[in-house]
Amino acid sequence: MSWTQLGYSFAGVIALALIARWLRLGESRIASVAQAREAAEQMLAGFVAHDAVIGTDGGAALVAGNGTIAVLKRHGARIAARRLIAPLALSQGIEGVRIETGERLFGSVLLFGVTDAEVRAIEASAGRPRDVVVTLH
Amino acid sequence: MELPDPVPYAVPGFIALVLVEMVVARLRDRTRYEPRDTLTSLLLGLGSTLAGALSVGLVYAMALWVWQFRLFDIGYQWYWFVLAFVLDDLSYYVFHRSAHRVRWFWASHVIHHSSQHYNLSTALRQTWTGFVSMGFIFRLPLFLIGFPPAMIFFVAGLNLIYQFWIHTEVIDRMPGWFEAVMNTPSHHRAHHATNPRYLDTNYAGVFIVWDKMFGTFEPERADDRPHYGIVKNLGSFNLLWAAFHEWIGIAQDVWRAPGLRAKLGYLVMPPGWSHDGSRDTSETIKAQWRVRLDGMADGKNTDGVR
Repeated sequence: MSWTQLGYSFAGVIALALIARWLRLGESRIASVAQAREAAEQMLAGFVAHDAVIGTDGGAALVAGNGTIAVLKRHGARIAARRLIAPLALSQGIEGVRIETGERLFGSVLLFGVTDAEVRAIEASAGRPRDVVVTLH
Repeated sequence: MELPDPVPYAVPGFIALVLVEMVVARLRDRTRYEPRDTLTSLLLGLGSTLAGALSVGLVYAMALWVWQFRLFDIGYQWYWFVLAFVLDDLSYYVFHRSAHRVRWFWASHVIHHSSQHYNLSTALRQTWTGFVSMGFIFRLPLFLIGFPPAMIFFVAGLNLIYQFWIHTEVIDRMPGWFEAVMNTPSHHRAHHATNPRYLDTNYAGVFIVWDKMFGTFEPERADDRPHYGIVKNLGSFNLLWAAFHEWIGIAQDVWRAPGLRAKLGYLVMPPGWSHDGSRDTSETIKAQWRVRLDGMADGKNTDGVR
């Protein structure tokens, strides 16, 4: 492969990505609690979703499970998930609550418009003993 | 005999088809493509081409070295090309199955599965570390049989070209006879899926008959739509992380593992294996899924919650 071929190939790659952007491909959001719960169960083996809270911008969600918590974030047009254990490392800001995942490349996850109290409720839901009655919403 | 590399001739077609698929995505479902994902896939493809160009001489030299010990003298008649294509596809099946079942090979192959999207640009998301992982050893028996290296590299190029078009959601099903014999978008969607049902299935390159023969075939089902990616999705578009994350994981695990047996296990056991059984493999994921399915069939809540 010559430098000229490499240059043309690189230009072609950038052009295709720009066309995808120009066509406005990839736009999506976590639209509902039901979608967040389904995504958490689908992405994390053995995870059984209870309550969930989603960011008002549809960019992230937190789902209580059977002893653990799933943090979801919009990743491109899809959702990426991590399994966390309470208590979560979080910080409350003006925009919402930021959850630390402990992974530098996955990054922290901003739950836009969500309060600290809502996150603590999710933690409590995840920590409930398995033999108590749980109402799913 | 000099034979051309067919892949460069196919590249304009690849680009044209990606463009067509993007327009279809714009009309039908915008989430099929994502600009950053597409950029990552294409740059990984470009990097893979570069890495291949750097190592092709060595691989060819090794092929020639093995070929000198060949059992038969095979010529360049057309029927030998046909046989070479079929046997090369069988060697691809063995390689591909190993690439999913042996972590050393998976570390190289995982790049191709690291996108959560499934489109034609995903086909171009290829490894940077194929030479390091020594995936080429699976083709060496073909040279030992007597197939000339030039012939095998030519048919391998054709195999690669075939596998491009099956990375799409635009095509639902091909005609029945074709689905029965050939690898198709439907079969390969299942292969790229992380749904427990589809994990470690459909390793075929061109002919799906290998999976049917060796018990690894799983048809795509309308009631279990594929979710693409890897069991622990990256959640990042970082190019270097996509290319090397599993190698880094192996290095960390081997470093921390207690004893030689555990260290070796992290190299050769299936992805997800751990010396203390604390991680999920495709077997444990499938087992949990079956328990859950059985529980649902019995009307029980598998979480134990009433």
